[in-house]
Amino acid sequence: MSLLEACKWLEASWLGTAIRESKWGFALIEMVHLLALALLGGALLITGLRVWGFLFKEQRPGAITRDLGWLLVGSFAAMLVSGILLFADGPLRYFGNAAFRVKLLLIVGAATTGLLTHLLGVRGQIGQSASTVMKAMALLSCTLWLGAGIAGRVIGVL
Amino acid sequence: MTLFLHICQWLAGTAVGTGIRESDNLFSVIETVHVLGIIFTAGTIAIVDLRILGLLLNRYSVEEILRPLVKITWLGFSVMASTGILLFWSEADKLYFNLSFRVKLTLLLTAGINQWIFQRTHKREMAVWGAVVVPLWRAKLAAALSLGLWLGIIVLGRAIAYQ
Amino acid sequence: MKSLELKNVVVAGLLALGLFAGSHIDAHHSFAAEFDGNKPVRLVGTITKIEWANPHSYFYLDVKNSKGAESNWGCETGNPGALSRRGWKRGDIKIGDTLIVDGFLAKDGSHLVDARRVTLPDGRTVYGGSPGDGGPEDGKTQSKP
Repeated sequence: MSLLEACKWLEASWLGTAIRESKWGFALIEMVHLLALALLGGALLITGLRVWGFLFKEQRPGAITRDLGWLLVGSFAAMLVSGILLFADGPLRYFGNAAFRVKLLLIVGAATTGLLTHLLGVRGQIGQSASTVMKAMALLSCTLWLGAGIAGRVIGVL
Repeated sequence: MTLFLHICQWLAGTAVGTGIRESDNLFSVIETVHVLGIIFTAGTIAIVDLRILGLLLNRYSVEEILRPLVKITWLGFSVMASTGILLFWSEADKLYFNLSFRVKLTLLLTAGINQWIFQRTHKREMAVWGAVVVPLWRAKLAAALSLGLWLGIIVLGRAIAYQ
Repeated sequence: MKSLELKNVVVAGLLALGLFAGSHIDAHHSFAAEFDGNKPVRLVGTITKIEWANPHSYFYLDVKNSKGAESNWGCETGNPGALSRRGWKRGDIKIGDTLIVDGFLAKDGSHLVDARRVTLPDGRTVYGGSPGDGGPEDGKTQSKP
């Protein structure tokens, strides 16, 4: 089954139909998506600040991710689930939307560089500053996340 | 209170209001900055509230978390307020009648008052909230209220478009 | 002295905000009302008013029904940027022009349609939906010359 066929199937499925025909469904899912964005963004902001040495300097550079772990994973999961549901409202429409495709790529890039930053930091010493590579990676990751957020907004404008 | 209505209609008719409203891309840019600004305002506030409630980052004192975030929250809030004012300016005459917008403003006001009372009441204790000294139930209540209010503000902000 | 003045300004501002938030409003329902996908309609009329605006543009038509009675209808369409990208520029229509609008009726029964397809005075047809609104043909924006 090609991607296009999968999108057609999803659009016609009970899920796609239910969301499309529900009066408040789409709006509520959008709101969850937005709330999760606030939490994920806040958590990512703090991890970025730690790597750059603006807070929690006495801990290991990678420790903050452990402390914020549940918030990072939970809010990302909420974004993923709500995002899939939003997508189900009109798979073919999003499939053809350039901003949507760019957004997906940016998310993959941001998550990958984020994970790499974390892996670089877990073995650091307590109180140690993050290496330049780690800082660059973290900055790249945050930029890509921001880009994904902007692309998400552009979806509605194209 | 038709005075407010007239002010809103006047605002919408000004060059600035009209320019933003009739723009090809400016409105979308201002709106995007406003939406993403949520991360730096509500996002940072939520993290501090969750810490006061003892739900995350418990190995760090509240002061340690608050100090670096406070500046970001205020910066974020200025951006939200500026973009918000511009968005309002461009369609003030229609927003006047928008219930979601009215309630959103009320919640913002309430959040501000909640924050002000919190600062006055707990300013001195906040310095020692950490692993040993835990915030009182009153402080936790304020933090929970803050989370609820900001949730409402975000939800209603989105609801504006659905009226 | 300076901090006292600033405090007063802030308090005054908050009071004004509070008054505005709580002051009397009419139950205004029209503009962003949802449209009924089962009620397609075609309107042919002359433009009486044009509003290029974010998030939605509107234009108003005087439409004659089959009995000859004239009424004014509002047509909701996309924002200036979206329409411009589809080839529909600001100067393309003016008051007095005749437009053909294919759209869907508002659910609340008011004289408002969601303009899906608009035939401009020069004969071009343009997709008129707001981007991402999920209505028919959303995502397949095309303009036929």
